[in-house]
Amino acid sequence: MNQERASEEKPYRRLETQALLQQIALRHGLEAMEASENGHLAWVTSGFPVEIPIALDMGVVYPEQAGAIVGAQKIGPEVCGYAENLGYSQDLCSYARASIGSTEKPDEVPIGSLPTPQLLLACNNICGTVLRWYDAISEMTGAPVFLLDTPPIDKVQLPHNQAYVRRGVERLIEFIESHFNRSLEDGRIREVAELSSRATKLWIRALEACKNKPSPLNCADRFLTMAPVVSSRGTEHCVEFYESFVAEVEERVKNGIGAIRDERVRLLWDNIPPWHTLRFFNILASRGVVFPADTYTHAWTGNMVGTDTLSIIDEVVETYSKVYLNMGLDAKVDKMCQLIKDYDLDGFVMFSVRSCKRYSLGQLVSKELVTERTGVPGVIIEGDMVDSRVYNEAQIETRVDALLEMLM
Amino acid sequence: MSYEGVIEQSIAGLKELLKSGEEIIGYIYPHVPLELFMAHGFTPSLVRALPGVASGFEESLQTFACSYIRNLYSQRANGQFLTLAGLLFPGNTCDSLQNLGDIWSVRFHDDRVLRLTYPVIRYNQDDSATKFLAEEIRLLSEKLSKLYNRPFLAENYDAAVDFVQEFHNGTQFLYSARVIQPEIISYSEVVRLVRTFLTIPTASSMSEIKETVSMVQNKADELGLSDSIETVQKAILSGDYTKVKLPDDLVSPRIVIAGGMVEPQAIASLMNEIPNFSESFIVLDLLSFGFKTVFTKSPTKSDDPFIAMAKSVLSAPGEPTHEGLSYRMNAMKDLLENLSIQGLIVCEQSFCDPDQFEAPSIEKAACELDVRTIRLPLDPELSDRGRIETRIQSFLETLE
Ligand code: SF4
Ligand code: SF4
Repeated sequence: MNQERASEEKPYRRLETQALLQQIALRHGLEAMEASENGHLAWVTSGFPVEIPIALDMGVVYPEQAGAIVGAQKIGPEVCGYAENLGYSQDLCSYARASIGSTEKPDEVPIGSLPTPQLLLACNNICGTVLRWYDAISEMTGAPVFLLDTPPIDKVQLPHNQAYVRRGVERLIEFIESHFNRSLEDGRIREVAELSSRATKLWIRALEACKNKPSPLNCADRFLTMAPVVSSRGTEHCVEFYESFVAEVEERVKNGIGAIRDERVRLLWDNIPPWHTLRFFNILASRGVVFPADTYTHAWTGNMVGTDTLSIIDEVVETYSKVYLNMGLDAKVDKMCQLIKDYDLDGFVMFSVRSCKRYSLGQLVSKELVTERTGVPGVIIEGDMVDSRVYNEAQIETRVDALLEMLM
Repeated sequence: MSYEGVIEQSIAGLKELLKSGEEIIGYIYPHVPLELFMAHGFTPSLVRALPGVASGFEESLQTFACSYIRNLYSQRANGQFLTLAGLLFPGNTCDSLQNLGDIWSVRFHDDRVLRLTYPVIRYNQDDSATKFLAEEIRLLSEKLSKLYNRPFLAENYDAAVDFVQEFHNGTQFLYSARVIQPEIISYSEVVRLVRTFLTIPTASSMSEIKETVSMVQNKADELGLSDSIETVQKAILSGDYTKVKLPDDLVSPRIVIAGGMVEPQAIASLMNEIPNFSESFIVLDLLSFGFKTVFTKSPTKSDDPFIAMAKSVLSAPGEPTHEGLSYRMNAMKDLLENLSIQGLIVCEQSFCDPDQFEAPSIEKAACELDVRTIRLPLDPELSDRGRIETRIQSFLETLE
């Protein structure tokens, strides 16, 4: 009874499906361990066309998520420190440092270190860092790196860019087939693409439900529930998870239940969140601030609609070349303005992440452009997603206060 | 000539060119098809970070942007840039430059910002990367024709291929000569010539290179070193060192400078300040504006020009986007071992992802060969210069 009341008093509501998420994570962890023991585990970057290794029955894990877990456990500085002791500068991406650190000392990182990979699959549609990071892991583990190169595009993908990425996807298939002695079956890739598409559509449904007032999800909810759509789309259990998730979200909408109890200000979030201080969102929730949309979790909304291997490859090329971070500044500004309009947002918070140059350099300019075009104010706060050493809470509070003063 | 003197000289040269009516296209990433710009009647000029540039501009670039792009941005915002017909940014080489191009277009919207996007090649067994870059170069060519109404002229292109090839041959010879006998010509002088040519690739910059080459050639002939120099040049280009034979009386320590977009001239100037040591200990650099540009292969005339230029650009050795890490480390180890190197100075541009990611692997690779290393975080302003010099000095002393 007491407990219930305590939770009732919290300014935000916990999702029931979060419990399922833990089960999924556990299952995923066990499967990854087994895949590694059987010699077919691939580490994949968040923007990698994971449908291909899944269709080729490779186990997959997603080191950026492991980095997030390290951050959330508040052991970021320590684990990044192991990489720094090997000579990796503190200026480098903290996902990379956390990953290098936990590969170096897995026993010191029981939750957040990943089973040994046999293959490293990197796609540079999110940044150029992933390539150098995976090269470093390759040096440590001996697993080969396959890079799917997706040169950035401005607004449209030109035919030569398309042809080049297409050849890259074909080479990826050939690479896995020859290294692991397997072949891509037409039926299997179709099945995976179909499952992937179902998961993505459900994910989009949940995101779009946040257009409602009050918003059924806050930023932290989406950041926690995005993991399966990033790393396991293309599997049955991923679809099952999102079915339950969407049901809960839509139930909330039907009953007018918001992610926070008293929604007064609706903001857009830009960039990765500070995993070590997710309570940032809860503290703001107590002041009536919700984040119905963010640029990060909206990045996983590309949808596979192909019906045979060839058309699926075309879909892969299109979807993965056009992810948010692989487009120019204009496209990013357009996306932010669109989200502000569609989700009826009052302002925006841009997290300038020292780790992530690709995401963050340019934010100072986009902030001005977005305000110019939408008329809503924004603020930039600086820190890091895993490495709490460079997160200055007091300074961040002052900046956010200044924004809220304008809005409340 | 001092570093500052060299900079002044090249700026004066550029101004003169502008006065004479030349149109200049600036570029930032060194591996561009110079021949393309020349074929369209432009003078390509490598725009670089400079010492003594007041920084700031936190309203546009965060403090964790690499010190190189911050310097470039500050130069432009301070009004230190000359009037350029266009400025070429690379795409897909590093995140900082990728984003700087976007920021530049917004902040300096009167500037003509051009973009050439590179493939990241990993020794794939097909020619898709070459084709991709060739098409990028062709599209850039089309853009140059349209924007400036200056068509690609085949005879200009042919002349440019010969001209740039002369630069490569000459500077490769000078680099190789120094490997055999570093005192034959000073490192500062070689990198000054390279710098001058890349800033103002004119006939007069070229004739200076030619004169120096012939002077060094004469010395080498007198000393009977010409064949060894040629073997070194071929070995570096092919990666096969089996025929290299170094003289028995090499002066030690022999040092190599590794790193990316660090200014060779700045390194030379640092070394010259160190008491009791001379820059002749530097046998070779592996820097982007030095070695990696010098040892790029020229386009072959038998190929289609765009394919030929793409192949040439992609042949730049040791670029992080061009080869996998293990390939690069093995190539570097071969070089260190076969050229009898005892020390490696690893320069890292502050907040440069490619440099900072690579440094631990370079250290490890060198350590396997018992080559001692020192890592030097640098910025173009050489802030902290005194401390850097002291660190280099202590490092050199450990090698004696
Ligand atoms: S640099 Fe940015 S996009 Fe790249 S892995 Fe790190 S956080 Fe992700
Ligand atoms: S110094 Fe490094 S990060 Fe900066 S532009 Fe050059 S390669 Fe990119």
